[in-house]
Amino acid sequence: MKRTQLVFLVVIVLAVVVVGVSYLLRQSGGIDNLVEGPQTLEVRVVTCLPVEPFVREAARAFNAQSPKLEGNPIHVEVIPMDGLTALGQWEREEMAPIPTVWIPDSRYLVELVNAAYKEKRGRDVFLTDGEYRTRPIATSLFSWGIYSSRAKVLEAKYGDINWRVIHDAAIAKGGWPELGGQPDWGYFKLVVPNPQRNVAGLAAMIAAAGEYYDKTDITVADVTDPAFQAWLKELMGAVTDFSIGSYSVENLALFGYSAGDGGQLMESELLVNMAGIQTRWADPLVIVYPEYLTWFDFPFSVWMGEETTALEKNAALEFQKYLLSAEVQKQALQRGLRPANLEVDITAPDSLFARWQPQGAVTVVSRTTRMRWPSRDVLQTLLRWFELNVAQQ
Amino acid sequence: MSTRNPNTTSSNRLWTCLIVSALLLVPLLCLGAWLGYKALISPEGASIVTEGDVTLRVGYTPEKETAFREIVSRFNGSGAKTLQGRSVRVEAVSMDAERMMAAALAGEVQAISPDSAVWLTQLDASWRAQQGLAALQAGTSLVGETTRYAISPVVIAMWEDVAHSMGAPDRSIGWSDLMDRARSDPGFRWSHPSTNTASGLLATLAMFYAGSGKTRGLTQEDAQAEETLAYVSAVEKTVRYYGEGELAVIQRALTDGPKFLDAFVVQEQLVIYHNRQASGHRLVAVYPREGTLWQDHPLVLLEQPGLTSDLRQAHAALRDYLLSADAQQFFLEQGYRPADLSVRLDAPGTPFTSANGVDPSQPQTTLQIPSSAVIAVVREAWAYTKRQTNVYLVSDTSGSMADDNKIGLARQAMQTFVQQIPSDQERVGLLTFASEVQEVVPLGELGSNRAVLDGAIANLAARGNTALLDAVYAAYVKLQDLKDTERINAIVVMTDGRENRSRMQLTDLVRRIQAGNAGGVPVVIFCIAYGEDADMQMLRTIAEASGGQAREGSLETIQELYKLLSTYF
Repeated sequence: MKRTQLVFLVVIVLAVVVVGVSYLLRQSGGIDNLVEGPQTLEVRVVTCLPVEPFVREAARAFNAQSPKLEGNPIHVEVIPMDGLTALGQWEREEMAPIPTVWIPDSRYLVELVNAAYKEKRGRDVFLTDGEYRTRPIATSLFSWGIYSSRAKVLEAKYGDINWRVIHDAAIAKGGWPELGGQPDWGYFKLVVPNPQRNVAGLAAMIAAAGEYYDKTDITVADVTDPAFQAWLKELMGAVTDFSIGSYSVENLALFGYSAGDGGQLMESELLVNMAGIQTRWADPLVIVYPEYLTWFDFPFSVWMGEETTALEKNAALEFQKYLLSAEVQKQALQRGLRPANLEVDITAPDSLFARWQPQGAVTVVSRTTRMRWPSRDVLQTLLRWFELNVAQQ
Repeated sequence: MSTRNPNTTSSNRLWTCLIVSALLLVPLLCLGAWLGYKALISPEGASIVTEGDVTLRVGYTPEKETAFREIVSRFNGSGAKTLQGRSVRVEAVSMDAERMMAAALAGEVQAISPDSAVWLTQLDASWRAQQGLAALQAGTSLVGETTRYAISPVVIAMWEDVAHSMGAPDRSIGWSDLMDRARSDPGFRWSHPSTNTASGLLATLAMFYAGSGKTRGLTQEDAQAEETLAYVSAVEKTVRYYGEGELAVIQRALTDGPKFLDAFVVQEQLVIYHNRQASGHRLVAVYPREGTLWQDHPLVLLEQPGLTSDLRQAHAALRDYLLSADAQQFFLEQGYRPADLSVRLDAPGTPFTSANGVDPSQPQTTLQIPSSAVIAVVREAWAYTKRQTNVYLVSDTSGSMADDNKIGLARQAMQTFVQQIPSDQERVGLLTFASEVQEVVPLGELGSNRAVLDGAIANLAARGNTALLDAVYAAYVKLQDLKDTERINAIVVMTDGRENRSRMQLTDLVRRIQAGNAGGVPVVIFCIAYGEDADMQMLRTIAEASGGQAREGSLETIQELYKLLSTYF
């Protein structure tokens, strides 16, 4: 064999070996371990429970696209945590490791954390303007969800359903028979999430205070008024069970009218559970919007502390952009949430709002007054009152 | 013109072949080694390197033993993995609610699935107290993400003819009807589990509500009021006996039928379970008019310090599996109401039929669950208002008990039995038998003889023969002589061998027990066959004559067996 033939043969063999080895390594997934590749940007998202399924599914789809930033792969991990639990962990500096993003129920929780950290770090840890500002990923209003058989009886006796009507029903000593309902229904049973475990419970108490005082701005003086406290205690006395706090509409759906005749709950959860309730209990739910309106806006809040890198923060923004895209926002709509992206048509025929319109769901709520989210002192006073007067009683 | 040496050409070719082979082989060998290494450390190779697995330890309550064990087995076979590719495995541990709370607080389990969420507020309160003032003020919670995968209401299970005699189905039956019937009819036999199960707690709460004349808003003062306690005490005196849990009760109902009890409190699922297996008498689920409670079987992640991301993911994997369509269908088939509302209870082939004694449109209402503080008071008050007990521990101390340290383990088991009975008002005595029968500790209230019993048990020694029948009869006569119909009268007898010393014959003993129970004080006898040499047939005959039961125990299970039997008192 000539020297040139030999060299040619060796080159061919080497090329075949390199291609073969490379292929086999890729097949085994081992190539990344042989070559020092770009670092994966981990985006840890602590998410409140009402939107956790939506965010988790979006994260799964986002990760499946193998997104990259400046050549670095991005991976999103979703950690479910109730907003109040997260607030406590932030305030006590127990949030470990610090997530890249926090999506609480309401931007007011973000403000509370900012207030706490301003004392410690001298600046906001979540921004309210600029590129990294908190942005709602969807909204959900609070509305009354009541079993139709029960709603009919209440409306026949009292007219429009509101917190005062619910209070009067709650204190009826003779229970449903006294209100005009069936003897088997027992007494009126209110569903309110445990405010110690679910911000929605706190929102319900704030809404009740708004209607009690007929105003939007609730103060510490209001919630410490003995007359109001007595009224609120009577109201809370109609709640059947506070032992599970985070799944109020699930209570209503799973346990049906046996555990709750109705309550002021998250519109999205009501819409999502409407079909299941009809399947399981054969008594549809009706939705009634209150005069004093409270809502959650689920702000996507990027942590601005030095615990996360600039690249991680930017990777978080990539996920935010994805969450707010029209396609993903349509998924939010399918979960009964009001999309933050206005390109998505909430009135589309296949939306839950259109489907459950006959049961009272509306896209635009008229004649309502927006409740202002009260100060931290008011929230803490209400929680303390609940602890002493309901939870420990 | 040059000519090539053939040897040189041949040598060149050889070298060429060698070089080419080496070039091919070295990378291939490297690749082989690398792939081998990968196989060892990769998730796919986790079965080889098991320290890479993530094990989630989950405590569950025993009423769902069959379904939970099966679903966990299926999950473990599903190949679930964390995001990092580590295999996830669930280790399911059966424990009653009290033990579960202790295990959760001690960090022995990372997740729990009790029978009801009713225990969760109590768990959090205990957690905060354990963590100290800071946790108390901060309101930290051990109870993390909570998911329901299957639910079942607590019902009063009655034999069909008993329910008809109480007016069903034309009128709704309530707790008050059950209590009235039990108080007015001495022949009416009913039972509910102790308050460390959700169904037992509910039955007790229903009594406290009825006793206080309320249907909601039960306070600590209500639970401690004299009239309430007097009412509860009177009703509790009608309870035949308590027991280790719902599953054991339903299994007795399956084997003994209506001669066992007239009514008992269990979750609806167990009524379905019974009716699908029973060939004769049928049970019906009575949904109490005043309201009931749901066993909602939550899966709870415990937010313990140091909970890792891997364990969170393991929990999430189990949660998702429990909520999967296959698992939800499985729970439906088992007689649970699945958490997935799209699974219809009225679909063809579901077990939710009147033939199975259940009504999926029920219950109409639930009782209000009081705060954990009120529940604690109710449980404490129940321990003092429940039907008290006269119980003789009758223990074999024959020579064979010295083998394999059987006597030592039996001593520990009996001491556990005594410790497990919280109320000092219960009366316990100790008889031993070998060649002779000896009353070691006379029957007396635990308030005065707890320490005496403990010491006497600790001093038990093995020697002599086995006078089993004489010992049982001696204890039986002592209980008959008391003529105490207010209390549950019971004997817990344990032997590791065969009768070889008594003057009493088995047929004579059985005849005397049956006659005594019919005309005198009912005494229930629980027999433990300790080890393989025990005469199980004889023990079963004795137990059945009294309406009791015979159990097999071993060196490994004897302590747990005594602990279980303590729940009957």
